[in-house]
Amino acid sequence: MIMGLNYIVAMLLIAAGIYCLLFKRNLLKLVIGLAVMTDGIHLFLISMGYRLGGIVPIFSSEVAPSLSEFAARAVDPLPQALVLTSIVINICITALALSLCIYAYRHYGTLDTTKIRRLKE
Amino acid sequence: MFDFIWQPIIVTVAILLCSLATYLLLLSSHRTTKAQPTPEKMKNYACGEEIKPEEAHADSAQFFSAVRRVLSPFYRHIQAAHTGEVNTYLLWIVAGLVVILIIILLTVW
Amino acid sequence: MIPHAPILVIVLPLFTAFVMPLIGIIAERYHIKYLRELIAIGVMIVVLILAGTIAQEVWNGEVIVYELGGWSPPWGIVLAIDALSTQMALMIAGLGTLVMIYSASYMSRDSGLSYFYTLMLLVISGMMGIVLTGDFFNFYVFLEIMSISSYALVSFRRDALSIEAGIKYLIIGSLGTSFVLLSVVMLYGVVGTLNIADLGAKLATYGGTNVPSVLVLSLALFVTGVMIKVAMVPFHTWLPDAFTAAPTAISALLAGPAAVVGIYWVARLPYLPFGMPVGLILVSLGLISMVVGVLMALMQRDFKRMLAYHVISQKGYMVLGIGLGTLGATLGTQGGLFHLLNHSTYKALLFMCAGAVLYQTKSQKFDELGGLGKNMPITALTFLIGALAISGIPPLNGFVSKYIIYLAGFQAGMPWITAIAVVVSGLTLASFMKAFSSVFLGQRPQHLQGTREAPKPMLFSMIVMALICVAIGLLPALGFNIIGPAAEAAKNTSSYISHVLGGT
Repeated sequence: MIMGLNYIVAMLLIAAGIYCLLFKRNLLKLVIGLAVMTDGIHLFLISMGYRLGGIVPIFSSEVAPSLSEFAARAVDPLPQALVLTSIVINICITALALSLCIYAYRHYGTLDTTKIRRLKE
Repeated sequence: MFDFIWQPIIVTVAILLCSLATYLLLLSSHRTTKAQPTPEKMKNYACGEEIKPEEAHADSAQFFSAVRRVLSPFYRHIQAAHTGEVNTYLLWIVAGLVVILIIILLTVW
Repeated sequence: MIPHAPILVIVLPLFTAFVMPLIGIIAERYHIKYLRELIAIGVMIVVLILAGTIAQEVWNGEVIVYELGGWSPPWGIVLAIDALSTQMALMIAGLGTLVMIYSASYMSRDSGLSYFYTLMLLVISGMMGIVLTGDFFNFYVFLEIMSISSYALVSFRRDALSIEAGIKYLIIGSLGTSFVLLSVVMLYGVVGTLNIADLGAKLATYGGTNVPSVLVLSLALFVTGVMIKVAMVPFHTWLPDAFTAAPTAISALLAGPAAVVGIYWVARLPYLPFGMPVGLILVSLGLISMVVGVLMALMQRDFKRMLAYHVISQKGYMVLGIGLGTLGATLGTQGGLFHLLNHSTYKALLFMCAGAVLYQTKSQKFDELGGLGKNMPITALTFLIGALAISGIPPLNGFVSKYIIYLAGFQAGMPWITAIAVVVSGLTLASFMKAFSSVFLGQRPQHLQGTREAPKPMLFSMIVMALICVAIGLLPALGFNIIGPAAEAAKNTSSYISHVLGGT
């Protein structure tokens, strides 16, 4: 039940992000939309490695007494590594996007996407 | 391995020979006329004003105005659709994703 | 092959990139001119040599598998290099070197050059990683390295237009890369592995039919993500903006070497890792892009924007060729990959010519230029060679690859595709006639009377590119020796899988 909820929330976040990208006219809101959407993907990814009652994926005698029990109960460590990498990348994108927004505001005096359109056709 | 497809050296030589022949033909049909235009005739006018030839420049978007006229629906709809708004472009992307998804579903099942 | 060459071609530009600000400080402290430029060019030449040694080995029928950290394939990250990757790596290194030489001169009036070369080398490193890696998530990471650096490069000059183009590129590109990430995640959830060969082997058991629905969604997301990078028509909108507003050295970099990355994945897509039929999508996207790209290019007033729309149109040819290759035309894949080689060369050349004109006249509008043929004869000549090559005029290289794609149209039993391709080629010639006559022929405006020829490093890159165009046109075997193995390798999935997983 709880596992299902994770995926539903992840998909809702992705959908909210895409909605924000499509219908919000403010550049900052677009950046927020991108971040929300990527966070939804991250939640999706991290849920995939989780199992109910899982233990830390570090093999030591304190965590699990035997290798077979460790293998049966440990969560998947790979999505955790992937999601860390992906979060760092997402921070880069957000930081660059915000700095570009500052410059866009300086040049155009607005963050409205319907007004920032000198390049067209 | 792919020699049967295309023999560039032969074709290049043929192209060069043909252009030489064309040039010779042009040269042989060349005829000089003794037109002596008055200075008035050589002047450029635009809207009643006299302008220098250096300043006269055709609008480059009208260079192929015939194509624009023939394909006017394309330019009226598709070119005008490039509004420069990010939201429109993102909408195209999501719509494209849905279309691709439908095509894959149709071909796989 | 030098040991560790596969990782060196990625790591060398990456480390030099981060050392570059330090080199910039040294260059300013001790007043050494061109230190940054020379180091960047030197690194690119070393990368080219390393890629050459890898190519020697790969063309002997090997698939080089390099295990990072000594972890064997299905678990650790590997670099898997077959002939397709080799073609792409050689193109990135070779054209990247020429673009680097060009930018040494083109960017000489700008400040903050340390960061410029940092970002340039990061783009090169990311592209190398994308084409060499054998791991799906690793591909995503390199894609982001390349993308983020290129967003920053597009808005490098921070004027109004480049900021606008950069932010549009960033939002559209990030949406695309998130699609790729979501696709990778779903694939991992279904199959439970990230190694491309392992994915291919496990997905092949579905046999193209009766696949889980998540996999279909994953494929659709991946195709969309890749198509945003390739800029096929509904997804193309970032490209004209970015190429118009970016410094021209960056336009050349993105049009030449960076086009490789998207097409590399388009060529992989029908075979690995998904192995599902996407030929119909590729052919239709290619056709739409060809036609819309060229018709939009016909009416442009801006030199670089016109070239940018031709990038879309010409990439349509490649995607069309690769798509036809999956629909039974054996020549299609070869044509697509060969067109990639030719297009990257002459499109980088054309952007360099536009950049030379912009550098000397500070204008890229057709209406403000004219009659520059007398002032810049070498630029005009190289532009003419590039323009004839892109229009597919026979003795030049563009014709050879287009001809193969035309033949592939007949081979697939769809001659109407060939007809459309020929018409698009004619329209391309028409729009380049307009460009050549507006810029290099006709009346020269008064303020351009004293225009001089472009600086020598720029001319060097342009002349080398023009010579490559003529050489491949006259001796297509030069190109086929690279393309033949690459097209074979793209289709030969079983060899790739067995080489990568063979060690386990």
